[in-house]
Amino acid sequence: MFENMLLGLQALADPALLLAVLIGVVGGVIIGALPGLTSTMGVALLIPVTFSLPPQVGLAMLGGIYCASTYSGAISAILLNIPGTSASVATMLDGHPMAKNGEPGRAISLATFASCFGGLVSIVALLFLAPQLAEFSLRFGSPEYFLLAVFGITVIASMSAGAMEKGLIAGALGLILSTVGTHPLTGTMRFTGGVPTLFDGIPLVVSLIGLYSIPEVIDLIDRAKSTHTGAAGVDKTSPFATLRELARQKFNLFRSSLIGIIVGIIPGVGCSVGGFLAYDAAKKGSNNPEKFGNGAAEGLVASETGNNAVTGGTLIPLLTLGIPGNPVTAVLLGGIMIHGLRPGPELFTTNADVTYGFIFSLFLSNLLFVPVGLLLARYGLRIVQVPAGILAPLILSLAVIGAYSLRSSVDDIWIMLAIGALGWGMAALAVPRAPLVLGLVLGTLAEGELARSLALVRGDLGAFGMQLVTRPVALVILILCVSAIIHGIIQHRRDSKMLE
Amino acid sequence: MKLFIKKLAAALGFVTLAGMTPAIAEYPEKPITLIVAYSPGGGTDTAARTVAKFVEKHLGQRLVVENKSGAGGQIGFSALARANTDGYEIGFINVPSIQLVKQLRENVPYEMSDFAPIANIQLDPVVVAVNADSPYQTLSELLDAAKADPGAVNIGADGPQSNNQLQLIVAEDALATKFNFIAFDGSGPAIKATLGGELAASLPSASSAGSHVDAGRLRVLGVFADERSPLFPDVPTVSEAAGVKVPSVGASLRGIAAPKGISDAHKARLEKAFADVMADPDFLAHAETAGLPLKYMDAAAFEAYLQEADAALGKYIDLMK
Repeated sequence: MFENMLLGLQALADPALLLAVLIGVVGGVIIGALPGLTSTMGVALLIPVTFSLPPQVGLAMLGGIYCASTYSGAISAILLNIPGTSASVATMLDGHPMAKNGEPGRAISLATFASCFGGLVSIVALLFLAPQLAEFSLRFGSPEYFLLAVFGITVIASMSAGAMEKGLIAGALGLILSTVGTHPLTGTMRFTGGVPTLFDGIPLVVSLIGLYSIPEVIDLIDRAKSTHTGAAGVDKTSPFATLRELARQKFNLFRSSLIGIIVGIIPGVGCSVGGFLAYDAAKKGSNNPEKFGNGAAEGLVASETGNNAVTGGTLIPLLTLGIPGNPVTAVLLGGIMIHGLRPGPELFTTNADVTYGFIFSLFLSNLLFVPVGLLLARYGLRIVQVPAGILAPLILSLAVIGAYSLRSSVDDIWIMLAIGALGWGMAALAVPRAPLVLGLVLGTLAEGELARSLALVRGDLGAFGMQLVTRPVALVILILCVSAIIHGIIQHRRDSKMLE
Repeated sequence: MKLFIKKLAAALGFVTLAGMTPAIAEYPEKPITLIVAYSPGGGTDTAARTVAKFVEKHLGQRLVVENKSGAGGQIGFSALARANTDGYEIGFINVPSIQLVKQLRENVPYEMSDFAPIANIQLDPVVVAVNADSPYQTLSELLDAAKADPGAVNIGADGPQSNNQLQLIVAEDALATKFNFIAFDGSGPAIKATLGGELAASLPSASSAGSHVDAGRLRVLGVFADERSPLFPDVPTVSEAAGVKVPSVGASLRGIAAPKGISDAHKARLEKAFADVMADPDFLAHAETAGLPLKYMDAAAFEAYLQEADAALGKYIDLMK
């Protein structure tokens, strides 16, 4: 095994590979920071480019895009309150308040180093534990997926600081919106009004753009009209000062990485859920949970570590079993196959130079997005000082372009604007928006997997119930769900008593 | 190493620079748009981008892939049906998906007669796959189990309303048996559930099962095709193994079509370019390593296949609703 790894290390000496990683990382940071451009799109567009490159060089470039774009969604989340990717929704909860409090520099630095840490730990897991962890991913059947989605939905309690009822309403709204489109098992159309754009459901990325950018634009215009200048201060926090701060959060970093890796190796769950669950765990384990949502460093660090730890995790079932965990890795699988490589044990022996070369290049990608991201952010920070009269139309145009470009569809612009109106209403009534995103992300998973679990036992509810308690992994998640709900109720009672 | 850097630079130039226009004003004078009805990175998209790259040499122009994804292909197919007929907008069509969408849904704004087939590129049959540890060694053993308790044996595949489900329904009809069909979000998740032991068998596409079979994780019991697949030369066709003729209408075809109304001259030029690329040794070698299951049909053969499939589908469509 170590001889094979050495072969992979040699690949790093290839200047073409280093250049490929750099191109991938720079491209990935830009793609991730711009809402509407997704890493899936970036990777897919570059695949034909990688045909003519040696496999490890091409894969290194794709890996660079994947790691860097998962991170850089945090930049726009923190500075603009608009998530660059769905992975950075939980980051925004504390990242943007921190920036508003005049510390955008500190927020970006924390996010950057936390992402780097989570990414690196997950690649270590990929390097040493891939075969063992891949076996675990196969133990995830439909009942386990269903329970995991339910557990994810319980995180709503953590997302709705002090406003549990509003959070639940937002979460329910997200679940309702997730039912639009084709039923995952029967193919029945629901609430589509015969509009083909809605057959696949309400697109997540389009909703994210609307939900966050439209209220921000309206808010900016409002501020531009008032005499208040609104230009927030920009801190001069040195990125390296935040490293010391991070060192005090060792436990948070490792817990969030672990959560991210576990979410990653379960195919079909994705980066955003990794961020949400890590944020939830950090809040529950924190001594100051009331600070979450108002610029708590712990929450920001947990979310960014968690979502980047998913990247290495998703590559584990991909490389060992050929099972992609999310749309980006599905595209990566195409990129691997196109070079005649076949996922499986032989990838780590016969093609060790390519595989380990790719894995080592991922270490490099995770390290390289630190300077690239910090450099971009250094100039990006000033965006909070740009006059609202310039920033508002700029964000609106980016939102329209982003919504259109996903499927080259004008209908998506209308969907974005409609969800934007909803988002503005929610913001005006102080209803938290993150639970809606969570409902939208997990609603389809929960519904589809429940239907599939029942189909597998031919609708026998008793048999399904037995599975939930007799399958070991299912039982563990079931216990997590129950304790999360009890914890939420107790927390809510305590909060209401404090208010009285 | 310098060579690698050069290659990298050349490859990047491929995306950044617009194609160079030859001096002669002969069709095609500018890049041609290739509408793909599925999102970037999917199987159809990968096939389209691969063909687009290799046909450039034979066409003298770039083929620019434009993804119009959504609604199971309906949005992209509708866009192709209404596309410009000046020869600069063509598209990838997927059979039988394009017909399933038309026949299963209401108000679909295209007819099969809106398309002018140019060439078929790929044919990917549906296969019957079980876990390598499965007790079912042959297709007849699996069929016996299904016949012993109709509707009890779990079989998963991409779906609902997919070509894989169509193939299952056709097989159930021909073999007078019934399985418990469970739809998954693609062949990949259905294979994963087979590996995880949740399903007795799955019906993935041959190309997605290939690497799992090579790795010894899956066993293929039968291929829904008229002849054995070059991917699995030792595996019998379902008709062979079951002793009953089972039509293979579920096989997924991917080919090139133009909107009806394209001039004969332009159509002939496109037909020639795609015929040439399907005989191009570089392309064939690349398809081989990448595991793309090629099957060339010229415009006439492709059109005939489309009409036959359309008629065959009518018989089963009610069973899919």
